[in-house]
Amino acid sequence: MTIRNRTIALFLAAALAQGAAYAQDVTAIMNARVLTGAGETIENGDIIIRNGRIAQIGADLSAPAGATVIDAAGKTVTPGIFAPISALGLSEINLDAEANDIGPDQEVGFPLGAALDATDAIRPSSTLIPVNRAGGVTRAVTAPAPGDSLFGGRAAVIDLTGRANSITRARVGQVVSLGYSGAARAGDTRLGAWALFRETLDEARSYAANPNDYVRRARDGRHVIADLKALGPVVAGEQPLLVSINGEADIRNLIRVKNEYGLRVIIVGGSEAWKVARGLAAANISVILDPLANLPAQFEDLGSTLENAARLNAAGVRIAFTGTPSGTHNLRALTQLAGIAVAYGLPYDAAIAALTRNPAEMYGLGASLGSLATGKTADIVVWDGDPLEVTSAAEAVFINGARQDLDNRQAALLRRYRDLSRGDLPFAYRGD
Amino acid sequence: MQQNAKLTIVATMACAISACAGENNEAAPDDAPQNSANAADAAPAAADDGNNGPVRPNTDPYPSTYEPYPSAATLITGATILTGTGARIDNGSVLIEGGKIAGVGADLTAPDGATIIEANGKWVTPGIIDIHSHLGNYPSPSTQSMSDGNEVTNPNTAQVWTEHSVWPQDAGFTRALAGGVTALQILPGSANLFGGRSAILKNVPARTVQDMKFPGAPYGMKMACGENPKRVYGQQGGPGTRMGNFAGYRAAWIEAQGYKKQWDDYWADYDEWDPKGDEDEPDAPSRDLKLETLAGALSGDIRVNMHCYRGDEMVQVLDMAKEFGYRVTTFHHAIEAYKVADKLAENGVCAAVWADWWGFKLEAYDTVRENAALVHAQDGGCAIIHSDDAHGIQRLNQEAGKAMAAGRRMGLELPEETVITWLTANPAKAMGVLDQTGTLEAGKMGDVVIWNGNPFSVYARAEHVFVDGALLYDRSDPKRSPRVDFELGQPGNDATGGAGQ
Repeated sequence: MTIRNRTIALFLAAALAQGAAYAQDVTAIMNARVLTGAGETIENGDIIIRNGRIAQIGADLSAPAGATVIDAAGKTVTPGIFAPISALGLSEINLDAEANDIGPDQEVGFPLGAALDATDAIRPSSTLIPVNRAGGVTRAVTAPAPGDSLFGGRAAVIDLTGRANSITRARVGQVVSLGYSGAARAGDTRLGAWALFRETLDEARSYAANPNDYVRRARDGRHVIADLKALGPVVAGEQPLLVSINGEADIRNLIRVKNEYGLRVIIVGGSEAWKVARGLAAANISVILDPLANLPAQFEDLGSTLENAARLNAAGVRIAFTGTPSGTHNLRALTQLAGIAVAYGLPYDAAIAALTRNPAEMYGLGASLGSLATGKTADIVVWDGDPLEVTSAAEAVFINGARQDLDNRQAALLRRYRDLSRGDLPFAYRGD
Repeated sequence: MQQNAKLTIVATMACAISACAGENNEAAPDDAPQNSANAADAAPAAADDGNNGPVRPNTDPYPSTYEPYPSAATLITGATILTGTGARIDNGSVLIEGGKIAGVGADLTAPDGATIIEANGKWVTPGIIDIHSHLGNYPSPSTQSMSDGNEVTNPNTAQVWTEHSVWPQDAGFTRALAGGVTALQILPGSANLFGGRSAILKNVPARTVQDMKFPGAPYGMKMACGENPKRVYGQQGGPGTRMGNFAGYRAAWIEAQGYKKQWDDYWADYDEWDPKGDEDEPDAPSRDLKLETLAGALSGDIRVNMHCYRGDEMVQVLDMAKEFGYRVTTFHHAIEAYKVADKLAENGVCAAVWADWWGFKLEAYDTVRENAALVHAQDGGCAIIHSDDAHGIQRLNQEAGKAMAAGRRMGLELPEETVITWLTANPAKAMGVLDQTGTLEAGKMGDVVIWNGNPFSVYARAEHVFVDGALLYDRSDPKRSPRVDFELGQPGNDATGGAGQ
């Protein structure tokens, strides 16, 4: 063993020891109203967290000796909020190119699309992460956005610890724009969007069937090999497509194409999805919708309604929420979207599930994330009131069983400026 | 002289056709400054002695034709009432009669034939007022063909009046009504240093924008700080920097001062001119729509609404206002208002803010959710929650709820009866219509909302919305739920109420 290797080994040993000590910590959240995310409510419920996981959950449990006990009497406990789509870690400031990596600019001819991979650029030290974590968000899907290509690239699931390695799972989905936003990238017509979509899938299949043959063949060069390669898991029906689409006719066509190609599909938007609710349920297509959408914003949104969430849920479609005012910077407001959906007919438990269990299941992580049950990863939030209420706040947040710091840049700004009286030193010396 | 004579004729004709500004003046609020020209404009009386009077441009050529809709006397009983004056009355009543608030209190009796609404468990507030909206000028559908909010052709387009862009058939107006909004200010966009004039509207479905215009409301003008103008014009002749922005404002104000002086001098000369004397009648200056609006801002007739995110820029704008002798009424968006809340209060300027939006650009990076509460907490502080958004306007109550909760959590005392002023009295004051609406006080317009519960809850929904006493929205009655022309005959949403879908 060289000295250099020994140093690394010692470092690793120290890190493991630290990790082990951490994992041996036991936390007991006692006496809370527990909403499991799986539709159950445990009044006076207790949760024992050990080794980052939920060791026990139920009523009338005893806190193990030596456990850190959190008395949550009068509080409500839910699984951590799981943001089903965002650009967390990819954008600090949307309008500054220097601080925005969400996707290529449009109309600049940047050649790649599907090949882009969020994990290449996610920055866990983004200030957006602690701000949203303080609002109870523990996991998020981080997705690139398309430039000139229909395809945006590969999304990842991250945790909101802000650790250097906060990737929960890479390449959980491929982003594609259809409908109006797809048309805008395909000759300003849906005809173009659908034809280009199918053609690209055909090419990806062809590439996947025999890559060596494909690269040797004469081609027109419109399809980049890296993109086709990235679409391999999509055409194999393994990796879901995250499809931006709204109108009823487009959604019906999407179901046809899905069946024809054997795709897995998650809809993002879906303002008229309720009109195709039974078809979506039958096709096992989930919908990430904006519960506020109730305007004829475009011709594809004429049927938009505040009852979209309630109607889709009633038909058995798995739903989750997204919205512009609760976008990447403000994922902490996803709970408000859920509350509004409840005000317009969505059952309360379904709203909680749409914030927690449903996104985890959409991305194939339901076995470990999204709900509170023995053996699951301990992503847990203790709320000071109804988690969906705009006046409520997260009091304690656990990710992987570890209690999180809820401080953030906005809290620091508040500390600095809450008192504007002139001090002995400038404001730059106040707070931290 | 020929040109001036023509102008006189035009002004007089406009007066004849439009029934004159004078009629509107009767309803004009005391604190709504009207151009002094109005009175004379309405009375071109001196014609008999061969003197046509001085040229006075019509200040109200597109006058309000709004008339309240018929209303029954209505008594709302048993409700929790937030009056908008800072008071809360539990188990109280509101009486609306003749379209006006007739009484608010614990014990009111209904006049004969009055409609009685038993509102036990409900909350009643003044109609919500949004000081920052683009409904009508950025309507739904948001096609390029209908996007009429930003005249991005020059950094100074003070000459445009956004009422000429407002499409009354924007479905957003009806959704806002279902959210309890009874009045709103439509502003031009923020691409330009000077964006143009605002339109202050009653939120009533109408065929024309004139049928929505708030009677007697003064005009506002939109200005913009910071990133937007330099982003739009940086590659198009400038301004390309914040210093360029200020140079642009100041040059325009200097020109406007000159223009205002020309007209003031002309009217003074005219007063001194003896028609029977030897001297020629004084020549009226040429009209310039751009400078006319800016001169109106200098004289205080037109209220300045300044889009400004950064605290340091706000303070520079306050100095500029002193340099040229005008007032800024409200800083809009005002992400960093909390950093300079003392200075805003000292200068009597309101801050219109979102509850928690942030980070879409660098000047919006430093938000705190306590922003509105910290502005309010200053002695004389004036906090407003605004939307700037067709969805946000539908739930300003919830946005205020978030801001209220953040303020309470840092230890400020913010009862609901205080926080409601951020959505009612404060925007009404800033827009110059507080003497007509914004509170539940006898004599004011019957602009009233009955909520299903505490309005600052995520589950709150407006159940009844009255505008000037007329029930224009009733969540339980599809016949009292408007649908705009654009929605007719379209594939709908299978909801019973158009606006409340």
